Order: sequence, then structure tokens, then C-alpha cells
Amino acid sequence: MKKRLLSLVMIAAMSASLVACGGSDGASDGSSNGSGVSITILNSKTEIQTQFEEMAEEYEKATGVHVEVYNADTDTTVASQVATKYASNDPYTINMVDAKDVYSLADDYAYDLSNEDWASHTTAAITVNGKLAGFPVCVEARGILYNADAIKNITGKDFDPASVSTLDDFTALLEELKAGGMEAPVGLLSEYWSLGGHYFSQVYEEQPDPDAFVNSLLAGEEDLASNAKFNELMDSFDTLVKYNYARGSASNADREETSMKLAEGDIAFMFGGNWDWSVINQYDYTENLGMMPVPQNTTDGSNEKLVGGGSKFFFVDNSDSTTDEQRQAALDFLNWLVFDAEGNSFLTEDCALVPAFDNIDSSALDPLSLSVKKYADEGKLIPNYNYLPDDQMTVVGQEIMQKYLDEAMTRDEVAKAVVDYFKTATPIEH
Amino acid sequence: MKTNTISYKIKQYLLFAGVSTVIFTCVVIIPFIYGLYLTMTSWDGVSRSKPFVGIDNYISAFSDSGYWVSLGRTFIYSAIAVVLVNAVAFIIAYMVTSGIKGQNFFRAGFFIPNLLGGIVLGYVWKFVFNKAFVELAGAIASGNVKSLLATENGAIAALIIVSVWQYAGYMMLIYVAGFMSVSEDVIEAAKIDGCTGTQSIIHISIPLMTASFVQCLFLTITRCFMVYDVNLSLTNGDPYGSSALAAMHVYNQAFVNKNYGTGQAEALILFVICAIVGGIQVYVGKKGEVQA
Repeated sequence: MKKRLLSLVMIAAMSASLVACGGSDGASDGSSNGSGVSITILNSKTEIQTQFEEMAEEYEKATGVHVEVYNADTDTTVASQVATKYASNDPYTINMVDAKDVYSLADDYAYDLSNEDWASHTTAAITVNGKLAGFPVCVEARGILYNADAIKNITGKDFDPASVSTLDDFTALLEELKAGGMEAPVGLLSEYWSLGGHYFSQVYEEQPDPDAFVNSLLAGEEDLASNAKFNELMDSFDTLVKYNYARGSASNADREETSMKLAEGDIAFMFGGNWDWSVINQYDYTENLGMMPVPQNTTDGSNEKLVGGGSKFFFVDNSDSTTDEQRQAALDFLNWLVFDAEGNSFLTEDCALVPAFDNIDSSALDPLSLSVKKYADEGKLIPNYNYLPDDQMTVVGQEIMQKYLDEAMTRDEVAKAVVDYFKTATPIEH
Repeated sequence: MKTNTISYKIKQYLLFAGVSTVIFTCVVIIPFIYGLYLTMTSWDGVSRSKPFVGIDNYISAFSDSGYWVSLGRTFIYSAIAVVLVNAVAFIIAYMVTSGIKGQNFFRAGFFIPNLLGGIVLGYVWKFVFNKAFVELAGAIASGNVKSLLATENGAIAALIIVSVWQYAGYMMLIYVAGFMSVSEDVIEAAKIDGCTGTQSIIHISIPLMTASFVQCLFLTITRCFMVYDVNLSLTNGDPYGSSALAAMHVYNQAFVNKNYGTGQAEALILFVICAIVGGIQVYVGKKGEVQA
């Protein structure tokens, strides 16, 4: 009998320890803790997580609303994380997602924000089927980052990005830098998102009608190899490859190292975007950095514009899992970002984001963002194209462009591979 | 008390295994069946509607050439890694049971890599391959040397090296236990009969350790087929997507390309292959076991 009792006790202890693993997080999401409501935010701009958490504390002190900020997992897509939370009926109150996710998620999950005051202050918000679903967190743009100090050190003249808008002028400057002692003045990231999602996607975005172009690629009717934009951008890419400091092992270039070289002036140019500031500012950067369009021998004006627009969007959950108080708190939070001085300084100063709202003062931004702001204010932004097939970035970026970057593929082969890929790609409905 | 009635047996089962059965059903059986159901829908992984499409996903899985290429790559990777892991583990297990000085220290040292998470050691080794080795090779050969990770075969080789480094310590522990279980008497008897050291390993220790081999092979085969974490942090498919193993292809198909149903179907095929290979190996291995 004693033995039996002992075994019962042991079984009880074992099952208790198992059960304990599962039940720990149930108590944290209640909105009933007396003083105020509690909302959750999924932050998919992981580089600003610390700032977000600090802001959440301040925000709770000021308003009594408890804000729980969750850092998105960078190893998986944001959409799948949002979906997981919906599948378990425990969605975030506010979800920060990419533009294409807003289109796929809005019908099912997003609350209509059309009646919000901030809606009239931005042109970057996303409307899906008549419902204003996406609050633009910031504006981001792509182009060539330059280190003007490094250039001036060699040429002796102040660098004017407008003077190298054509590829011929740009190549002449690269030659001058090379002759002046900077053997390889260019850095190119080897990550597939940079090659496929940022560089090659310009081929679609800079077409007169991107949608028609992509559709004809999908239909297998486009002669990419003789397309003007494709060739202009690939000409520019060839030049960047030729002067790449990592040439020879280009597909293995390290993002940190490339950013450091640009920051410290070991190289003068790097293809990237204003988000690269969060990496560059970790190093001993020189003062005069900036962004300019990708130089091209073209007449369509695209070599005077950056490519970009609203980036990362908040949508507010419309499901029953979120109470009306929580939803109101979420709407108040979005208003606070746009109309409160504290909220503004959180966006522009703490997180160094280019605001998408015309009433926000952004003079305190970093140099790359200031460049973006300047182009945006002048209306010189070519919009992002958000309906590329989901695997475009990995297939074109990794399997095709990375090989081209390594000079293991010719341009004709690239054109053929891209055309072949599009024939089997799944179009995004829109 | 009667101990051979059915109700007694059920009670006994519930008493000892009831809780685990419930939990096992909840976290393994039910998700598995639900996963089976998902392979028959064209769910994108996000939306609320899960349209039923029958066996379409299996058809597209069988016609997904990228999947079969990555599966073939996984076979090659696994074959080489399994042999190397077990060979290395066996040799170091022999060394740390042969009574050399500080053998406990060596046992701990070889085991430590296994305590690191796959993600962490992937990043650590990435640095070693890309920076340390390149610097070293550059110093010897002079000039711009390509990192192993930048070449197609090199990336797979790097994956194998890291896997061997990671798993060998763990398998070593099992082999050490195997060596310890071989009775001293038998070895001594063999010695008296004139057996040399090598002969006694081949003809005495190894046959008596078959159980360890079966276990280690099973563990390494299944782990190698399912490897994802090291693949992600060390190469992430670079260069040119040539180092993406089957699990990574399945993940990308389901979550990056948003073909959840197809990805799930491919995962199921991977599971079946893995189960067949593992099953055959255990069956054959068990047959060869010797009772001392």
C-alpha cells in the first residue's frame, strides 16, 4: 500500500510539472487590472525594439495604458506570426506588418481607420476595399548611399550627387577615386532581400506601368532581355559589381563589414536604404553621408528619384478578442504618435524614422533619412510595387542575382531565368 | 486482487500513463491529424478560409523540382554526416575510455558543442568560416580567398563539418556507455588467448556494442534528415540557394511562399521517408545484436 501511495505521489508530481508548463501565460493579457487597459503591439522593425520598450514605459506613466511590445521573430515572416496569434484567438491589438501583408490580412482582421484625424495628414496609408487599414509607420527608400567625406578626401571637391546621375559620370568618378587610392569604392550586400527585393525589383518598379509589366511577365509574354529598364539597371549593376570591394567572394560579403567600410570612408558608395543607418551608426561614421538615386544612362528621369514610400504599417485588430476599450486605446496610441510632441519625437528622434505625416517636424533625423525626406518632399519617390509573387525575392534574389553578383551567370541567362521563373510563379490577387 | 482482468489493466494503464497519453494526444496526435487535413487545403497560412482541394498539394509537391533537388541534397548531406559523426564519435569514445590522463576533462570538452543551440553555433561557425579561415588562408596563399561558404559544394561541406562537430560529442557519450558495458572479463580472456588491441575491438567490443550503434545511427539519421537550425544560421541557402536542405525548402514553401498546403504535404513526404529509413535501420540493427 505504501508503495502504491508513493507511486501516486510521483505521478501527481510529474503531471503537475507538465501542466505547469502550459498554463503560465494565460493571466497576463487581461484588461481588468484596475487602473487602465492593456494593449499589445507586434513590432516587426526589430532594430527599434529597445526604443519601443522604453516608450511603452513612458506611455504608461503618461496615460495609464499598459503597452506590451513584442519583438517579431526575424527568422520567420511577420504574416505567419500574426496568423499564429489569430489561430490561437490571441491576436495583438496593433500589428506592425509589411505593405503586402496589409493587403492579404485587411479583409479578415483589420479595423477601419477612415474616421481617424491623422488620415488627412498622410498620403502613404493603405486602403483595402474601401477600408483604411494600414497606418504608415514610416517612409523608407532605396538608392545608393554615399560617403561625401571619403569622396572629397580624394577629389578635393564637395560631392554633388546630382553630378553623377548618369552611369557615365558615375563611372568617371569611380575611376577618379580608384586613381586616387581607393581601390574598390563600392559595397554591395549579398543578402537575397537586398538583391531581389531591393535592387532587381527596381526593374519592375521603374517601368512606365509596373502592373502591366509584371502581368505580362506572368503571362510569359515579356521579352525581358531587350527591355530598356532591365538593361539600364543591369548596366549600373555591372559597374557596381566591377568596383565592389568584395569582388571575388561577392556572394559572401558581410553586411556589417560593408556598412562599417562605408561609415568609415573605406568605400564611398553602397547600395541600400535609409534603414542601413541603424547599422552604420554603430561605427565611427564620418559626418557627410547621404543617399542618391541609382545612376543610370537613361532619359526617363528615374535616375533622379529614389524608390520607396510608406514602409511598415500598423493595423488594428477588429476581432472579438480585442475589447472596445482596448481598441480605443489602440486608436489613441496612433493619434499620440501623430499629434503629440512626445509621440513625434519617439518616431523621429528615438527611432530615427522618416515620418509619413506632413505635420511632423523631422529636422532631427539622421543624414540618410534627411536625404529620403528631401526626395519625398520634392515628390521624387518611385512607389514600391507590392504585388510581386511571394517567392520573387528568394528565387530572383538568391538563386539568380546572387549568382550574377558572383559573376557566375551572364545577363542573358539572368533574363531567361527570370522569365522562366515568372511563368510558374503564383500571381498575387489584387 | 485479480491482475489479469481487462478493467484492471486499463486502470493500471491510466494510473501510470493516463496523463502522458492525454498530453501526447493533445500535442502530437491531434496536430498531426490536423496537419494531414491541412495538406488537402490550399490555405495560405494566414487567411480564415481553408478551401478544400483534395490531393492537389501532393501533385504539386511531386512536381516541385526544387523540393526533390533539396531532398537529394539532404540524402547526400545525411549519408556523409552520419558516417563521419559515428566514426569520429566512436574514435573519441575509444580514446576517452582507454584510460588516458584527464579523460573526464576530454569527455566534457567533446560534449560541450552539443549544449549550444544550433542557431548560435551556426552564427559562430559562420564567423569562423568567413573571417578566421579566410584570413588564415589569405595569409598562406595571399590574395582574395573565397570562403568555403561562398562555394556551392563548400557550403554543404561546411554544414557537414559543423554537424559532425556538434553531434559527435553526444554520440560519443552513447559509445562510451557501450564501451563501459563490455565486461572486463571478456576482454581479459581475449587478451590471454593472444588477441591484439585492434582485434579485440573489432571482434569483441564492436559486436557487443551493437545496441549503441543502432541508437547512434538512428539518432544521427533522423537529426540529419530534419536539420534546419544550423542550415538557417550557417548558410540560409547561400550561395544561390544551393545549400537549402529539405526542411528549409519545406519551411520556405509553407511560410515564405505562402503555399501552406504544399509545404505541409512536402513535410509529410519528408516524414514518411525519414520514418522508413529510420525503421529499416533499427530493424536491421536489432537483428544483428549479440547477447553476451
